[in-house]
Amino acid sequence: MMHDGGGHVVRLRGVGKEFGAGRVVALDDVTFDVPSGQLLVLIGLSGSGKSTLLRHLNGLQRPTRGDVEVLGVDVVRARGAALRALRRDVGFIFQGFNLVGRLTCLENVLAGALGRLRLPRYGVLTYSRALRREALEQLDRVGLADRPFQRADTLSGGQQQRVAIARALLQRPRLVVADEPVASLDPESSAQVMDVLFRVCAEDHLTVVCSLHQVELALGYAHRVVGLRDGRQVLDRDARALSSAQAMTVYQRLGADPAEVTGRVLATAGNAGSA
Amino acid sequence: MLAVLTAVSVREVGLSGGALVEGIGDIRRLVARMLPPALPELGTSLDLLLETVSIALLGTTLALALSLPLAFLAARNTSPHPAAYGAARAVITAARAIPDLVFALVFVRALGLGALPGVLALGLHSVGMLGKLFADAIEETDRGAREAAASTGAGRLQVITSSVLPQIVPSVVGLFLYRFDINVRLSTVLGFVGAGGIGQQLRATLGNLRYPEAMGTVALIFVLIVGVEVLSVAVRRTLLADEGAGVRDGSVLAFLGRRGRRRQAQVPPTEVAGAIRPPWTVERRWKAAYGVALLAALAMSMGGTGVNPLQVVAAVPDIWGVVQRFWPPDFSSGTDLLIDGMVETVAIGIAATFIGTVLSVPIAFLAAGNIAPARWVYVAARTVIVVVRSIPELILAVVFVAAVGLGPFPGTLALGIGTIGFMAKLLSDALEELPQGPRDALDAVGATRMQQTATAVVPQVTPTLVGQTLYMLDINIRSSVVLGIVGAGGIGFLLVQSIRTLAFERTAAVLLLVFAVVYLVEHLSAWLRRQLI
Ligand SMILES: Nc1ncnc2c1ncn2[C@@H]1O[C@H](COP(=O)(O)OP(=O)(O)O)[C@@H](O)[C@H]1O
Ligand SMILES: [Mg+2]
Repeated sequence: MMHDGGGHVVRLRGVGKEFGAGRVVALDDVTFDVPSGQLLVLIGLSGSGKSTLLRHLNGLQRPTRGDVEVLGVDVVRARGAALRALRRDVGFIFQGFNLVGRLTCLENVLAGALGRLRLPRYGVLTYSRALRREALEQLDRVGLADRPFQRADTLSGGQQQRVAIARALLQRPRLVVADEPVASLDPESSAQVMDVLFRVCAEDHLTVVCSLHQVELALGYAHRVVGLRDGRQVLDRDARALSSAQAMTVYQRLGADPAEVTGRVLATAGNAGSA
Repeated sequence: MLAVLTAVSVREVGLSGGALVEGIGDIRRLVARMLPPALPELGTSLDLLLETVSIALLGTTLALALSLPLAFLAARNTSPHPAAYGAARAVITAARAIPDLVFALVFVRALGLGALPGVLALGLHSVGMLGKLFADAIEETDRGAREAAASTGAGRLQVITSSVLPQIVPSVVGLFLYRFDINVRLSTVLGFVGAGGIGQQLRATLGNLRYPEAMGTVALIFVLIVGVEVLSVAVRRTLLADEGAGVRDGSVLAFLGRRGRRRQAQVPPTEVAGAIRPPWTVERRWKAAYGVALLAALAMSMGGTGVNPLQVVAAVPDIWGVVQRFWPPDFSSGTDLLIDGMVETVAIGIAATFIGTVLSVPIAFLAAGNIAPARWVYVAARTVIVVVRSIPELILAVVFVAAVGLGPFPGTLALGIGTIGFMAKLLSDALEELPQGPRDALDAVGATRMQQTATAVVPQVTPTLVGQTLYMLDINIRSSVVLGIVGAGGIGFLLVQSIRTLAFERTAAVLLLVFAVVYLVEHLSAWLRRQLI
């Protein structure tokens, strides 16, 4: 939670990622920093590279070129214990929730403590009482304290995503990465989940990098908006200084010359908001 | 070409019309001498039945303990290294390819008579099925949940226990019970090679020409097998009732026949606020009760058979000593015997498949609820199928050998009857699933019942029939390898002989030949199925 004030939590330099030996360029020369406490929203069409970029932040994927530094750790070269230690400090929220459906809410949340524990665990009772209490507190924070022992696959989508948020919180992370956390939810649950996510992150002074599909949502919550198109950074700007029409240019179909469009968007964006 | 192959095979196993009539006459006379069945001494029989079940339970548990770690190495998504993956898959394939009776023969030779070799034989052979199906279940687990666990900073083992293991638990439970069911059947035969259980009583009574008691023993075996099957299905139902959610078609669970059983998700009542212990719901009580019952049964089995984990561990050096003597395989002498034996084994498999399939078709039609002419016919045909399926083929083979003497003929008959049970079940189920439309159309144009069946039903099930027959052929050739162990023809005789005389290099040669043929047949049958369907 504490972080050397003003330092950068995420530092990306010329990050490029290709799949299938250069046949798909998912990321192309992405460079930006995220200062501590910032709430950065990543927007872009589906297929523009948002998930790929986020998955670089905790080493689920490694870049073809460039540097990824998160919380002072060189993610590209981190392996084994060093990588696990980094992952413990990064709470990751997935679009598909990624809970174990058969397990209870509490046990799903408890998985968030694994990085702190040495031995493998199976079943709620293999976690200490203190940890179980802590997990219950996190469930309470996301509004699900009344059903710790309900099977996760019997919850609604919005509730499942809140369990996933509680799991990430139990990690006591310093950075939260969320990959389209509400893309598979109806508007009402979406709003609820986004409120919960940003409220708890603000309470814990966490840095957040979150990809979103919906521009309106992005502008409502973000301090800063970064736009991706075809793996390239085409927008980077303070959210207060961004109108939704400007943000929408990220979604416009490309003209003949992508470089030209890129130049135009960056020009309208002015100097980026990484103050 | 198939017809020619079948004709040659039928000749090879001595199944001329005359021999058939004569042989069936022999069996009728034997059965006549067996009737009315007499109960052998009840105390001894019950002890032996208990030992049979105990061996099956301990063997299945041993298999579980070996298969689970092996499966994580043999699943692409959890294996630490391609080399570990390859090695684990090879072990699993070998365990499946070596029949349980061959394991039993070897272990009896290495460790002496008793239940221990039986437990080890079932334990190792079952790894072939459990290891494979567990690995499949692991490969089917949700990648997202694994990734989420890894993203919390969990280590490899932690990821497995907290995200993969919980997902496969229903499959593991279902397959354990299913395999236990199979192992009880296999366990009834183990006594024939001295590896414990009720088989030794059947062997003794037949050997002393006490036929009514032999029949009584067969009846007891039948009751045991039906009882265990009913029990295991009941346990499976209650234990896995709430696992319908998230089970995809084609998954291991669907394969176990629980497709579509999805109980309404029960939302437990709001728990005591702040509770951090799981509440004792009805489901949790059931699970705990079954867990306690299983532990008690295991303890009783260990007490009754005198087999315990320490003994199993202590047997490892002895087993290893024997395994080393399998190398190098000895192909030097009696190559013609080897080839004759293999040809006979394959011929038995083909002939039994052909006979069994032909006879199963009419039974299947009578046992299909939507085709059977009357309710009582349906019930009668289904009963025949259940009865036939509940008597292990090897038990039949043993009885037939007693009736008509050594040779491939009793073996073919036994496998043929087993085939009827298996095929008639599959086929009648397939018939019941056929859409009703085409028959209604013919009904509307005034076709008779027979015409409807011939025109609308037969063409629809032909692909199923062909596919199942080829699959059955594959199974039957595997099964016919062990027939020779009880004197019912084929290469199994060479296996017994070489193991009895401690010529393990020779055993290895026979097994290698068997692997080659079984592998060939499996792939040929799969290829043919793809071509024809
Ligand atoms: N594992 C992968 N293998 C091959 N191509 C991939 C892989 N993951 C992503 N891609 C490709 O990379 C591009 C970016 O995908 P992604 O990061 O998922 O975009 P977004 O999250 O913005 O929808 C797409 O063209 C996608 O097809
Ligand atoms: Mg995505």
